[in-house]
Amino acid sequence: MPRATPLGARLSLLLALPVAACSAPEAQTAPKSVTLLNVSYDPTRELYQDVNAAFTTYWKSKTGQTVTVQQSHGGSGKQARAVIDGLPADVVTLALAYDIDAIADRGVIAKDWQKRLPNNSAPYTSTIVLLVRKGNPKKIKDWDDLIRPGVSVITPNPKTSGGARWNYLAAWGYALRRWGGDEAKAREFVGKLFHNVPVLDSGARGSTTTFVERGIGDVLIAWENEAILAAKELGQDKFEIVLPSVSILAEPPVAVVDKVVNKHGTRAVAQAYLQFLYSDQGQEISAKHFYRPRNPTVAAKYAAQFPKINLFTIDEVFGGWRKAQATHFGDGGVFDQIYQPGKA
Amino acid sequence: MTMLAVGGGLAGPVRPALAQQDSTAPSVEEQIRKLDQQVRILKRQHELEQDSLAAAAKDRPKVTADKDGFWVRSGDGNFALHVGGYIQADSRTFLDDTEERLTNSFLLRRVRPLFEGTVFKYFDFRILPDWGGGTAVLQDGYVVAKARPYLKLQAGKFKGPVGLERLQSATDILFIERAFPSAIAPNRDLGFELTGDVADTLVHYDIGIFDGVVDGASLDTDLGDNKDFEGRLYLTPFKRSPVTLLKGLSIGVAGTVGNEHGTQAAPGLPSYRSPGQNSFFSYRSDSIAIAAVADGRRWRISPQAYWHVGPVGLLGEWIRSSQEVSRGATTATIGAKAWQAAGSFTLTGESASYRGVSPRKPVTAKGYGAVELVGRYSELEVDDAAFPTFANPARAARKAKEWAVGLNWYPERRIKIAVNYGQTGFEGGAAGGADRADEKALLTRFQVAF
Repeated sequence: MPRATPLGARLSLLLALPVAACSAPEAQTAPKSVTLLNVSYDPTRELYQDVNAAFTTYWKSKTGQTVTVQQSHGGSGKQARAVIDGLPADVVTLALAYDIDAIADRGVIAKDWQKRLPNNSAPYTSTIVLLVRKGNPKKIKDWDDLIRPGVSVITPNPKTSGGARWNYLAAWGYALRRWGGDEAKAREFVGKLFHNVPVLDSGARGSTTTFVERGIGDVLIAWENEAILAAKELGQDKFEIVLPSVSILAEPPVAVVDKVVNKHGTRAVAQAYLQFLYSDQGQEISAKHFYRPRNPTVAAKYAAQFPKINLFTIDEVFGGWRKAQATHFGDGGVFDQIYQPGKA
Repeated sequence: MTMLAVGGGLAGPVRPALAQQDSTAPSVEEQIRKLDQQVRILKRQHELEQDSLAAAAKDRPKVTADKDGFWVRSGDGNFALHVGGYIQADSRTFLDDTEERLTNSFLLRRVRPLFEGTVFKYFDFRILPDWGGGTAVLQDGYVVAKARPYLKLQAGKFKGPVGLERLQSATDILFIERAFPSAIAPNRDLGFELTGDVADTLVHYDIGIFDGVVDGASLDTDLGDNKDFEGRLYLTPFKRSPVTLLKGLSIGVAGTVGNEHGTQAAPGLPSYRSPGQNSFFSYRSDSIAIAAVADGRRWRISPQAYWHVGPVGLLGEWIRSSQEVSRGATTATIGAKAWQAAGSFTLTGESASYRGVSPRKPVTAKGYGAVELVGRYSELEVDDAAFPTFANPARAARKAKEWAVGLNWYPERRIKIAVNYGQTGFEGGAAGGADRADEKALLTRFQVAF
């Protein structure tokens, strides 16, 4: 290599210029329009349709900027993997914290994501209930009835669906309470339950389709919001909701995807979008779509819609999501051991 | 009431025997319900399986063989391999060669298999050997790390970012042989380069450091420590303009600067060939007297432009090179300049393009392909300072001027049958200071590229 010369120095500067120019800070003036991608879990289609319309109006009036929110829906686990593999989500609104943790573990989301928004970044909650056919012909009253011979149960695949994992843990938690904390009994109970499952959809919405539209099964284990939606809107007078004696408090979390918003320059609007879910308007929309709002005032307004159920948390019974995921849903975990399709 | 014949006579009315009813057996309605459920379950399982297969198909590697060549791509696009190449079978016929100085021949001008692809999404590679003329040469062998579209690092052996026609693929050039500017612009060289496209390819830049090659040459091994800096800025400023006449205009400038110090064994000085590939200029390399050698600063500058609108294409470039030269105790700064203006017109109406013509109705679609008419004028002139100390005026011409016309037929994209006629006149290059005889070259080519 030649020694540095004035010419060499000038050429080195010329070399640096394109790099410096291209890595300059974001423009100080925001663009007139911006697009966000919200990667969500399966049953939130209707919710975010209304949330997006409301946020677009709110943001335009506040900033003058036009924002378009595109949606992607699917089983929560599958969606998380898609984001890890490069799906350019500006925000994720998934079914459970573990799926967002999985993304954070790959450095795509900051590790402290859950602390960045109130209530551990879960703007609304839900729980798991049972949806049966009108008249409840199989007399389903509680979790016990799901393991009776001749009862066909519809629930999605816990390997891909966040809702399915909540379903599974709700059943397991019930069994622990029923049999005084006996893990073996709980395992036997959940094994019998999945023996009664004829079809495993990849996501919660798929299971709703199987039960409601394809007419398969006697009981659907479902998100509360899915069950209410099915009972009120998808099949009027065709279904009933059965509240089990105990269920799990489901806290679907949301997060800004740091790597993507840094690249797109959309951090401000993405943060505002998630904060909008906590606003009065956002909480009202959640309640209208049968998600339990965090805001006490809105919750009180919609109290009649959400009956009281005896709920336990994943931390109380399972020690948190990481432990539950590793024990039950990881490769070779309990679910893989108890569910073997084609075997009795 | 059923009447039965029993024992030859009619019996009285018979009550049908009633089956014993098992109270635990499922009712007919229940059995039907169960069967209905089983059918629904089977249909739903089939539906989910189809969805799963469709999703899996997206992740499966894809193998394609079509007009874009032979490709294998992973489902996520992070890995890709293109196997391609081209063969050019030529003929050269020199007319009015009464002294038989030039050889009429058939030849395999280029036989180049191509292996290029992407690994791990951000890294490209290209390997292009050449077996034309019965020799084995590595033309391209390089890797690219793609941080962003505007920032890529390229390393290995590849064309220096200088000559506009030189940078065109050999399959896409208008004529069978390149014009004089490509005799001065560096060919393949070894080095590192930063390259990229900015503002949606409105701006393209290359800047790099190379071993440094003599005019028109390729290099595999550097014999000295000195390196060349090479750079190019190429703009298509009106790409998004609503004015059609301006959209196809690209302009640029390229240059090189470095030092070259040759030896008696490897002088580091160029020689120049005519479009018919016959040498018409070289520096003195007498085996008895001292040969001229490169001895110091070398630089080049080349403004260039390409414009196309509809079936019309125009290519223009000018290049100037300069090299400090010594022969014994005598030194000088000697250079050469060359330029060309070339035009194309697609008789069948396809758009002209720097990257070759795509027939609108290829023969496989029951058409006739594309036909392109081409013409050019080109000159190369060596500085007077070269003569007589550094170059023998009785053997080295100081100027060459060429005009050429041609017809290209593209039955398919990148399949080409071409006929060119070019006439090159010289100033000097013959005994007694006379002009070297004109070269009248009739060239043909049959090219298959894939």
